[in-house]
Amino acid sequence: MSDEMLRAPAEAKYADELDWLESVDDGPRPFSWRLSPRMVRLFVLGSERSDGLDREIKQKWFGDRSLVERAIVTLASDRGLLLIGDPGTGKSWLAELLAAAISRNSTLVVQGTAGTTEDHIKYSWNISMVIAKGQSRESMIPSPIMTAMEQGVIGRFEELTRSTSDVQDALISILSEKYVSIPELDDDNVVFAKPGFSIIATANSRDRGVNDLSSALKRRFNFVRIPVVTNKRSEAEIVRFRTTELLRRHRIELDVPPTLLDILLQSFADLRAASESASSDDERLESSLSTAEQIGVLEDAILHSHFFGDRTLRAQTLAGSLVGSLARRSPEDLAILNKYWHGVVEPRSKKEGGQWPDFLEGGRQAIATLS
Amino acid sequence: MSAPGAVEGPFAALREQLLEAAAAFAGAPASLSEILAGLVDDVDRALREQLEIFPVCHHSPASALAMARRLREKRPEVVYLELCEDLRPLLDELRNCRLPVALQAFATELDGFPAGSGPLSVVAPITEASAEYQVIAYALETPGVELVLVDRSADHVFQWLDKDKDKDRDDAPAPDPEHGEDAALHGDAVGIEIGDLRPRFAELEAHLLHHGKVRHWSEWWDQYVERPLLDADHDTYRQVMVLIGSLFRRLAPERGDRLARDEERERHMWTRIREHLSTSGADPARAMYVCGAFHAASRVEEFGLAGSDTYTVTPRTGTRWLYGLIPSSHSAIEAQFGLASGSVSIAAATWTKAVSRGGVKPYRLEGQQTKAKPKKAAQPQVTVPGPVPDRLSGFLSKPPELGGLDETELLGWCVDLVRLARRNGYLSSTADAIAVYETSILLAGMRDRARPTPYDFQDAAVTCIEKDVVPGRRDVRHLCEILLGGDRIGQVGYASMPPLAREVYDRLEPLGLDLHKRTVQRALMNLGAEPELAPCSHLLWMLRYLLPDGVVRPIMGTRRLGERSLQESWDLSLGQHQRSLIELGYEGVTVEQVLERRLRRAVWDPQATAATALEAVEDSIVFLGSRRFTDELGARAVELLSAERTVDDAPEVLRRMRRLLAHFRAAEPELPAWCEAFVTTGYAHYCTLLPTAFVAEDTGVRQVGAMLGFLFSMEGLALSLGCDRAQLELAVQQSHPQAPAKVALLWGAQSQLGLLPLAALRERCDGLLANPLVVPSFPLYISGFVQALESVPALTPFVVEVISKAFGRLPDAVLLPWLPKLITTLRDQARELVPVLVREAGRTFPAGLVELDAWVPPWERPAAPPATAGGQGVAASGPVAELLRAHPDTCDAVAALLGCEGGWQADEPPAYAEAVALLARHPETALAVAGLVAPTG
Repeated sequence: MSDEMLRAPAEAKYADELDWLESVDDGPRPFSWRLSPRMVRLFVLGSERSDGLDREIKQKWFGDRSLVERAIVTLASDRGLLLIGDPGTGKSWLAELLAAAISRNSTLVVQGTAGTTEDHIKYSWNISMVIAKGQSRESMIPSPIMTAMEQGVIGRFEELTRSTSDVQDALISILSEKYVSIPELDDDNVVFAKPGFSIIATANSRDRGVNDLSSALKRRFNFVRIPVVTNKRSEAEIVRFRTTELLRRHRIELDVPPTLLDILLQSFADLRAASESASSDDERLESSLSTAEQIGVLEDAILHSHFFGDRTLRAQTLAGSLVGSLARRSPEDLAILNKYWHGVVEPRSKKEGGQWPDFLEGGRQAIATLS
Repeated sequence: MSAPGAVEGPFAALREQLLEAAAAFAGAPASLSEILAGLVDDVDRALREQLEIFPVCHHSPASALAMARRLREKRPEVVYLELCEDLRPLLDELRNCRLPVALQAFATELDGFPAGSGPLSVVAPITEASAEYQVIAYALETPGVELVLVDRSADHVFQWLDKDKDKDRDDAPAPDPEHGEDAALHGDAVGIEIGDLRPRFAELEAHLLHHGKVRHWSEWWDQYVERPLLDADHDTYRQVMVLIGSLFRRLAPERGDRLARDEERERHMWTRIREHLSTSGADPARAMYVCGAFHAASRVEEFGLAGSDTYTVTPRTGTRWLYGLIPSSHSAIEAQFGLASGSVSIAAATWTKAVSRGGVKPYRLEGQQTKAKPKKAAQPQVTVPGPVPDRLSGFLSKPPELGGLDETELLGWCVDLVRLARRNGYLSSTADAIAVYETSILLAGMRDRARPTPYDFQDAAVTCIEKDVVPGRRDVRHLCEILLGGDRIGQVGYASMPPLAREVYDRLEPLGLDLHKRTVQRALMNLGAEPELAPCSHLLWMLRYLLPDGVVRPIMGTRRLGERSLQESWDLSLGQHQRSLIELGYEGVTVEQVLERRLRRAVWDPQATAATALEAVEDSIVFLGSRRFTDELGARAVELLSAERTVDDAPEVLRRMRRLLAHFRAAEPELPAWCEAFVTTGYAHYCTLLPTAFVAEDTGVRQVGAMLGFLFSMEGLALSLGCDRAQLELAVQQSHPQAPAKVALLWGAQSQLGLLPLAALRERCDGLLANPLVVPSFPLYISGFVQALESVPALTPFVVEVISKAFGRLPDAVLLPWLPKLITTLRDQARELVPVLVREAGRTFPAGLVELDAWVPPWERPAAPPATAGGQGVAASGPVAELLRAHPDTCDAVAALLGCEGGWQADEPPAYAEAVALLARHPETALAVAGLVAPTG
């Protein structure tokens, strides 16, 4: 089935691994969880030789072990889990992996937007059925969260802080009483959550203040803050892992030379340092320079090389892609990139050589084209 | 693997557990088996040694407990301890302190070390939950027990550091924002600790952390070694510690300088032990050697009582070392030795708990200050362990249940934490306490722990209580640390402080404040009503001069030359900054002595200038009031001035000298000799340098202005002391500046000397304003004139005139860009001259709009006819005139000499006759004034 999908959900993609883990898991499982907490951790963070498993489980999310443990434990407790962090830090990916491992269903997702209404969280009605048959459970359309309650699985709420406060507050009763009442119906008018139900929400820390969570809702969530990955080694791992996946998805066979990957990581590290030391927003790139952004740059460069180039990833292409992705505002971003290219990349290309001179040239051309 | 039979058995399981780490870093399989065999050999050798070796690890409650047990059991007569041998006398002083404190060796006067590398400082922190404290307390409290420190001296610490080319001062404190404000208690000292036991290269540590599924080293140690060992018997303890030390040693980088240094230390320690045994004749069976586990697994030739005696201890350098105790804190120790934040506090909590559980009675120094409440009596005697079960097998696979938290304790923590969080602004409630409890248990379960450890509890608390923002100053992690004992800060007792520090406390006693408290104490002094507090105030001003900012801070009151406050208010935080005071105590016996030495050092510094010397002179007058010392510093100032070849400091010299002259004229019957010498030397010096300074590009207008200020304002004094005015005139004539500002200065000087009449000066300025080629640089001339006011105050009306003309005539294109510059220049360089200018302008310009229409600037008014001599002038009066009239011969002779014609004025009745009559009628006021002005006359 996964072959026919552009992007298979985690439970489909790693169905084999999940099946196998379930078969060997002899640990205690909370509620209706498909795996024990330890196996969930193993699924997310990958196995090691010391775990004594017959089969290797690949690491899927790269970050602090204790964060994952705290997240899993929260789901086993009475509270919802709120993953909070900068854009591109892997919050949604972690949420998806957790939902897949715990309940084999990561698709019960509500996307929080300014247009999200309470109906999206609770239920709505199929108008034609209501006209034909009246209000009944049949003519009711349950939201993904209500479905999760009925099935006793994990429901997800993406970008919680993008939806308005009154909509967010609809979650309060779901998280504390664990049921939704349907006053339109005379009987069978309460949907009780089955054991195993919980919510993983994600929130972008850059959106803080747009629609702040109420204290009542905050109390019902445990917050786990996902930091931006600054460790170069872990970041390289993440970029490599995600890029391999993307290449497979696009069915492209192309090598990413390690030297180019280093250049990409180094450039992002430099730009991040510059952003941190900048005193005003005008001196700072608009991009959050997250790991996801790096993956985007690399993917862009790969696709460009594959379809318009000679099917080899070159430093010029990477530079062009980097400039193209990061230059969002003109002239501020372009000015910062120009400064970076001439102040950092140029001396480095003279000093270190290798692929840097090509990278310098490609960047220059890209900046010239955009200016 | 061919291991001796004696050490097979209990080690098989442990060896298996460590196999993975060893295998990962051994490289070839052959070297792996070599390492494993070596481990067993090391353990065997250490345990078979005739002198009992007791391996310890720093800040380890398990080590401390095992030590206490062993000491009670064995009661050794001699204890050798791995600690700098020259720190021994300090140990007796520990009785007066509240732990943690640090033993410190400190040196500022270096001999044998590169200049500029000082001050050198070594600290060895001592906490209560440590094996070394047990040893010290046992040895000092038990009669007949000798404690011998055998490690290299503080001097060698730096000698050997110096040898390292790569300077791997990994034990120097690294700034870490995670640690709190008390983390800086040790300053920039090099830390030494007994029983440093940590992987020597990052990969091994990372490997252990990764496989141990923990975040940092302290957690690994706590989980895998500390807790299992808490109740281990002596043999197990020793085996495990030596084994770990041996593993880390064998996996340490072969050619590391640090390993070489450690080996040298081991040679030193064993040599010293053998020396002591042979001289004292002590029985090795009744002795014990306490060292880090790393050193217990030593392979140097000198190891053991039977080791070779080939090592010679290198002599110390000539550096003079001073010793003392300084307060330390858990966070300072963590920061110094790179431990995770909170780990020492957790170790202290573990220790307290283990002690209260009974089983062993720890040693404690008599008189030791402690904040802890008295514990309920522990069981008096140690329980003799029965047959030893094989506890080793489970060490790395599963921690034992003993020592974990019981439910009540965890519940208590949860409740207390929620309360603490609420006090710190979190919206936490009982529901959170329940959630923290539940999450702690779940986390412990997931991490393979039978009961939650403090680390699990901390994680759970962060998960459940910390939301998107931290409301107060403290985050939840920090609150947990506070809850688990918090950062304990030590205090050095009064009796253990250096004499200077004790004296400071004694002298400040009249203030009636508890200066040992760590909070800021506010001292209020009404010196008019309580003159007995004046010495306190004086001492505080000296301390403010000597100690870093923030230790003593005046809120109200000043102390400068000629100024004294009647009321003062101070913020004192001596308790919090005990280290600064103690380190000050290394410099001398009294505050005055230290101050004198500092001032003397300042003037004899190779970089010292005349200005710094004058500053020292001022300080010596303000703080010390010793005429002899002030004269000495003043004489040095004269020397420095005559040796100076630049005039960069001229403004400072002028300012300070003026102030000092004013002081001496007001307070002393005559000027000190050095002061006169300074003026004459300065006069000659600045006259000589004037022509060069006028043309040198790197000498600013302000400097030249100050030189002229010195020359003119002290001219009277200089001439009276034998200087020649011709020198100044010549110097001015030789000056040919090019820069407009300096040209203006020169004109000012010439006008003062009478070489350039005011009319001519006015004409020149008008000429400049009329010349369109010069107009753009006219503002520079004005700057020069303003600077000239310093030396020629009489020029003020003229400067106002020039500025007014400039404002009136300069084109906007020149004037507007220049205005801001004028303001900033005036503010930066001529701040004191601005009021003079403003006053003069106020006198010159009309005050109201009405007068403005009819107003004509004074410089445009027709010149008044010159006053005729005699008749019109105000009649000379007063005692001088009367004296001259009474003895007219001198005046007549001078008049004849000068060719002045005309005679004495008629002795008209004085114009103030009415005033005299009035005073004669009512003499009381005048008498009262006379009484005030001259009380004795």
